[in-house]
Amino acid sequence: MTWISNLTTAFGLLLLADSCYSAYEHSALQTHRAASLSSLAASHNAPTSTLPIDITIETIFATLTICLGIVLGTSNLRPIQWRVWAGKIEREGEAGFLNSSGEVEKDYIGNPFRLLESRPGFVDIRKQRKEFAEWVKNK
Amino acid sequence: MSSSLLHPPGHLSPATALQHSQQAPSILNKSTGAISTSLFQSLLAAPETPELWITYENLLLSCLRTGDDESAHRCLGRLVNRFGNDNERIMALKGILKEAGASDAATLDVILEEYEQILQDNPTNIPILKRRVVLLRSMGRISESVSALISLLDISPTDAEAWAELADLYFSQGLYSQAIFALEEVLVLQPNAWNIHARLGEILFVAAKASGNAGQLAEALKRFSRSIELCDSYLRGYYGLKLTTKQLLSDPQKALSNRTASEGFVVPDSATLSKLDEMATEKLAEIVRRNSAGEKGWQGYDEAEIKATRELLENGSNVIIR
Repeated sequence: MTWISNLTTAFGLLLLADSCYSAYEHSALQTHRAASLSSLAASHNAPTSTLPIDITIETIFATLTICLGIVLGTSNLRPIQWRVWAGKIEREGEAGFLNSSGEVEKDYIGNPFRLLESRPGFVDIRKQRKEFAEWVKNK
Repeated sequence: MSSSLLHPPGHLSPATALQHSQQAPSILNKSTGAISTSLFQSLLAAPETPELWITYENLLLSCLRTGDDESAHRCLGRLVNRFGNDNERIMALKGILKEAGASDAATLDVILEEYEQILQDNPTNIPILKRRVVLLRSMGRISESVSALISLLDISPTDAEAWAELADLYFSQGLYSQAIFALEEVLVLQPNAWNIHARLGEILFVAAKASGNAGQLAEALKRFSRSIELCDSYLRGYYGLKLTTKQLLSDPQKALSNRTASEGFVVPDSATLSKLDEMATEKLAEIVRRNSAGEKGWQGYDEAEIKATRELLENGSNVIIR
């Protein structure tokens, strides 16, 4: 998740918390008012006022902001067709699979079939050492 | 090609391997290597991840490759502390370490004896069976290595890596039809492996050049085409396609006479061949051009392959096969 999506989601959560608290306060005020009224006048019930419209707007806006923040934080879409995906690996290498912070994605494994050609279970370590030593000599 | 420490390092260039092994001391010193089993500490400290152990294993292989034996021993020590001595993979890693440290044939014989001993106790220890095959091949005892590999494949016939190793062994000995058979087995197990299709095409091409059988050239053509179907802009596939079409176009007599050959595929007619050649040339030129221009989405290709393609496009007729 990038910083912008984190920021937006956090802001939306703040707004939501604020609107929920305002609604709670409103309902607490209602019960308090009803309680104090009923102690003064025997049967006259003041009509309960509905939730102020700005609390409603704030709640809806907060929900939309949270949704926007989460959507902004999703990772890049990957190709679905096999040949397009394979072509992307061959053509772009690691650079095609960066996540939003610029690092290679955790589950990127490159060409999964290259293990059939490098065969790590059959690594001939003596040959590799010899070749490496020659490469160092020739450098 | 992924260059992180989370993937087996066999295919890395020497420079990247050197870079990894130079990171070894810092990675080893960063954590003490003691993973405590107490509940309290595992609540406080970061939990161990599978990536940690994979990193140690790949670091070990890179260090052995570059000659940093001390760091390799330290990595192995931590792995043994965690997984114990009886784990099959750990036994194979210990074997690799010993092989790397061996300096003469007598030591190698001793190591081989040890492998045989382990296999006496557990005949299906796959990592040790693989090590035995590699050691025999490294010592030059190819036919024994092949029979050891075949017995491994009898135990575990769905091991694509072992089939691929068998194909490589046969190819190194010039036994092309056996190599082709082994690679076809790999393709049965992994039908979508575009690089194996290209490899099979390459072996068919070499075999066809040796024997002059145009049916094999036609099959090579099909294999390269399949690898391109499976992977857009596959450099190796287009390169092989161009070589094969050029070969087929340059011997029209042979192609005609083998049209009705009983074995091998039917060679396509020369119009199709020239169209394929044209398409391959165009695509190769595009890849080389975009890669050299430094365009953003085209930098994943290997330097040496691009150089070879450039030479192929410039020469037009003189081709050297790796």
